[in-house]
Amino acid sequence: MPTRTVLVGSASGLHARPAALFVAEAAKQPVLVTIRTSDKKPVPARSMLGVLSLGAKKGTEVTLEADGDDAQAAVDILADLLERDLDAVDA
Amino acid sequence: MAELLARDAIRLDERARSRDEAIRRCGAVLVEVGAVAPAYVDAMLAREQSVSTYIGEGVAIPHGTLSSKESVQRDALAVLRFPDGVDWDGFDVRVCVAIAAAGDGHVDILAQLASVLMDPAQAQRLRESTSADDVITILEGKPS
Repeated sequence: MPTRTVLVGSASGLHARPAALFVAEAAKQPVLVTIRTSDKKPVPARSMLGVLSLGAKKGTEVTLEADGDDAQAAVDILADLLERDLDAVDA
Repeated sequence: MAELLARDAIRLDERARSRDEAIRRCGAVLVEVGAVAPAYVDAMLAREQSVSTYIGEGVAIPHGTLSSKESVQRDALAVLRFPDGVDWDGFDVRVCVAIAAAGDGHVDILAQLASVLMDPAQAQRLRESTSADDVITILEGKPS
């Protein structure tokens, strides 16, 4: 099953704007992608509450996983997004 | 999370005709309890323009932008309940959890709040709570 572990790149962590962008991108994927931290259970990447419940900060290690056709592509798209600083355009 | 929430920062019977009016009420309560300077309220409105703080289950979490941290006097929460609901970009918001946080402490606060709201029964309890004690108990993550 395609899996990728990356470090959260956004200055403010995975919440608010970065979380909103991440969840929106996850919802566009044709497969269900899960995200987890080392100490928490996987949650659907397209669930805002789930993603927020991870409490991931800048530099937190998170693991994405998906199954099925295009799973690798979906995991890669979301992993690349997580590694970027999504706060860079913060108001 | 509950230790950041003073009893006098819980308002159970609020009304607002718009999202921005609700955010101003949230900001006013944070100012009243000495958590933020008035400038923080404008930052809360700016944050909401940039990205919605609606998180699901009828709950929004208005807070300032990264650049407004200097307006934060101490980390604190305020809970405002809008029994009639507020139209929040098409979502029906019943509860606002307003956040004042200088560091990245709000990420932990949010994680705890999100964990509580992932249980639909707890989310409903929060939306319908009629006492400050109820709100504090729910946010502490204690089952009914």
